[in-house]
Amino acid sequence: MSATTAGTAAAAPVKLPRPAILPRAISAFSGTTGLMVKIVLLALLNAFAFWAMYVLVTRSHWVAVVVLLLATIGIDLVYLMPRQKTLPLKFLIPGTVFLLAFQVIPIFYTIDVAFTNYSTGHVITKSDAIAQIKLTSLQPPANGRSYTMAAAKDASGNLVLILKDDTSGKTYVGTQKGLTPIPESGVKTGALGITSAAGYTLLTGPALFALDKTLQNYIVPVGTGGAGIRPQTISTAVELEPTLRYDAKRDVFIRISDGTVFRDNGRGEYAHGADALEPGWKTGVGFKNFHRVVSDPLVQQPFVRVLIWTIVFATSTVLISFFVGLFLAIALDKRGMRGQRIYRSLIVIPWAIPGFIALLVWQGLLNDQFGVVNRLLHINIPWLFDANWAKVSCILVSAWLTVPYFFLVSMGALQSIPEELTEAGRVDGGSPWALFRRVTFPLLLIAVAPLLIASFAFNFNNFNNIYLLTGGGPPQSNSSVAGSTDILISYTYKIALASGKGNDYGLACAVSIFIFIIVAVISTIAFSRTRVLEDIS
Amino acid sequence: MRTKRTAAIVVVALAAILAALAGGAKAATSATPVITIWTDQNRQAAVTQVATAWANARGATVNVVVKNFGDIETNLGTVAAADAPDVVVGAHDWTGQLAANGLVEPIYLKPAEKAQFPAYTLNAFSYGLAVKKLYGVPTQIENIGLVVNTSLAKVPTTFKQLEAEALAYKHKKSGNLAIAVQQGSGGDAYHMYPFFSGLGGYIFGTNSAGNLDPSNIGVANKKFLKNASLIDKWNKEGLINAAVDSSTAQNAFLKKQAAFWITGPWNSQLLEQSGIKFKVVQMPAIVYPSVPFLGVQGFMVTKYASVHGVDALAQDLVSNYFSTPTAQLALALANGRFPANVQAGKKVTDPVLAEFGKAGVGGVPMPNIPQMNSVWSDLGAAWVNSTKGAGATPARQSFTAAARSIADKIG
Repeated sequence: MSATTAGTAAAAPVKLPRPAILPRAISAFSGTTGLMVKIVLLALLNAFAFWAMYVLVTRSHWVAVVVLLLATIGIDLVYLMPRQKTLPLKFLIPGTVFLLAFQVIPIFYTIDVAFTNYSTGHVITKSDAIAQIKLTSLQPPANGRSYTMAAAKDASGNLVLILKDDTSGKTYVGTQKGLTPIPESGVKTGALGITSAAGYTLLTGPALFALDKTLQNYIVPVGTGGAGIRPQTISTAVELEPTLRYDAKRDVFIRISDGTVFRDNGRGEYAHGADALEPGWKTGVGFKNFHRVVSDPLVQQPFVRVLIWTIVFATSTVLISFFVGLFLAIALDKRGMRGQRIYRSLIVIPWAIPGFIALLVWQGLLNDQFGVVNRLLHINIPWLFDANWAKVSCILVSAWLTVPYFFLVSMGALQSIPEELTEAGRVDGGSPWALFRRVTFPLLLIAVAPLLIASFAFNFNNFNNIYLLTGGGPPQSNSSVAGSTDILISYTYKIALASGKGNDYGLACAVSIFIFIIVAVISTIAFSRTRVLEDIS
Repeated sequence: MRTKRTAAIVVVALAAILAALAGGAKAATSATPVITIWTDQNRQAAVTQVATAWANARGATVNVVVKNFGDIETNLGTVAAADAPDVVVGAHDWTGQLAANGLVEPIYLKPAEKAQFPAYTLNAFSYGLAVKKLYGVPTQIENIGLVVNTSLAKVPTTFKQLEAEALAYKHKKSGNLAIAVQQGSGGDAYHMYPFFSGLGGYIFGTNSAGNLDPSNIGVANKKFLKNASLIDKWNKEGLINAAVDSSTAQNAFLKKQAAFWITGPWNSQLLEQSGIKFKVVQMPAIVYPSVPFLGVQGFMVTKYASVHGVDALAQDLVSNYFSTPTAQLALALANGRFPANVQAGKKVTDPVLAEFGKAGVGGVPMPNIPQMNSVWSDLGAAWVNSTKGAGATPARQSFTAAARSIADKIG
């Protein structure tokens, strides 16, 4: 601050420059300089938007292109139009853009995924899944052969495959009609495959690469039963036969060996009874995931247990850290106290250390065999290995991390309480405790209550704290991914990444919507209660 | 004022048009097809070198993108087709998940190429419910072994000897560990596997087709339960302890507070630099051979190769080129691991890598089916519950519970 005002401070009285900074900054930016800054910023924004539009066009996301175009034109107009008409918009737009990007869109996606079966085996689209099932259902027949291959043009310019059997060394020319032997002496091979074939022009480079799709569908039929030689790489081919047949008209897969029919079961897979083909595809499943949270005992039982612990964890963290922080703030509020600044700085330290590191350090400190805590105190408490002690550890550590916040907040709030009020109380003969309880604390709460609620909501979803300290452990010996100290959000994370058959993003999204509702309800009730507090003043 | 505003609009529009042109110029690509490869930081140089050699011979171009190794599996499912890779490096235990998601393509190796790989490495990359297919070309293998500080203890040949030596060293000084094997409160079924297999445990059995069968769970099989009381004994005498996590185990061995450490080749550099005299062996058999889990890494062709029109090329790179001994040696050594290709393996001169290789003999590839996801935490938890010192659950009980929990989750 002093550096920017140094020039004026020398000439003018020291008091003046401070209040002048903001208006002066604004006036400095309202002339031609301001216009230039505005143009540069808008040009950058437009350049970015055009680049994004270009990328979107190459990927044919037409809706997004139109939205982006309209939004960009809109923003340009707002900032270039005469000031009076669009003044409020100029202030609203940046906030709105960030709100959309970081709040609305993720929520929209979460809701969208919650209604799908997005999980292991249900990731791609249906048409991709059909192609993939066809591809993986191919199997080398008994005594199936593999070939070194080269794509070539015959004398009349048709695409053919020059094939050399890897085991017998016999050479053939393959077309979509069948296999014809050609003399072995005419085919020469090198390190990278066939290098020349008499009477044929081998395709190389771009001419060969352009045939990728053609080669994929190029089948040289051999024998009966649908077996054929299929190019696998640009220089090899394998004899394969399909085990499944796709009937596009009925939209079913039929197993060739026994005629079993696999139908689209409406849950994103082709199935015959419990026997489903892999891969499946991502599709809407309505309220199935929500239904599972409520009724599936494997999800619902731990959900209730985890919910209770989450509330206990968040509430006790907030209350403990608030009261400890408040106590410290009052204790250090005394005027003329020696070393007050040092004490205050020391208390804020836990806040200054990045949470990630602090949590990992605590994990080491609390190790029951080698941790400093047990060794220094000569006790033997299983801080992280016993379900109840681990819960205590979680609360203590997260309170340790939150105390500085409430210490600072309380300190500020205490100073804002007019001294006349406590003065008057003292004159009336109130004891210090009564003064605190009747005067200071209620006034303090008006300022701090919304922060308590915010802190509650934060700790309700305090993923880092649990994940880095205990990882949700110690494990529970019942059939669930939820450990003893898992809170709802870390439980959700585990469902998403380590459910029975891999990942289950759909279910995890449904659970997170429940979390959102719970937090919203608790916060709304709490906020409406704080209005009562405001009536006191 | 009016002219100013018009000027502003013109400038803004000009900037936008220039940006669009710049974007367009960059996108005007050359005619040679590009193969995009996702690899991790360690292998970036080796992959670039090997793939470029291939690309020059074929007349293609490669684009090597560096990713966090662990992110490759998850990102492959969410990436937009335009940015998607054609070839990825991966761990064999991703195979089931990636194949079940339909994100990778089957690979067919020539008989002569197949013969250069140990059968288990190809098996590790194979997956299929009905038809088992190969989805990756293995390039490197890794496993954990028992690292012995040879100036503190003799290399044990029987488990009894190991137990006696380890406990004797533990009792020498307070703070010493018997066997430094990492668990922590979350458990670590991977590092505990030699103990698990030595007692007769297995994860999934195989069905008649030779595929892993998720309904046959061997976490609490009869043979294992018969020997499970040994775990309770180890817990009582302090041979192993769940409170030891990865950093505690490492520190203990490096500071000579433990004579035995169970770890893998990722720590071989650390070991060589520590100045400790050591030897890596397979843990001596307990009741059955105490074999470790085997991890195989290799390269896979994604389904996007076909979307990008470079399928045959990508397949050529992976199956015909990455499988050659020269490429295998370069790719494996870049990561400090033993190559999967047998001929390349003969050229490895690093004695520590060779010792780790021997420690893996007879090992079991980590199951590669997606159901394995739920096994890690339950099996790890069973070990933690039974080896956490005082108040531990009897092993028979905790492993039976784990088996039930795994079965419930798989459903």
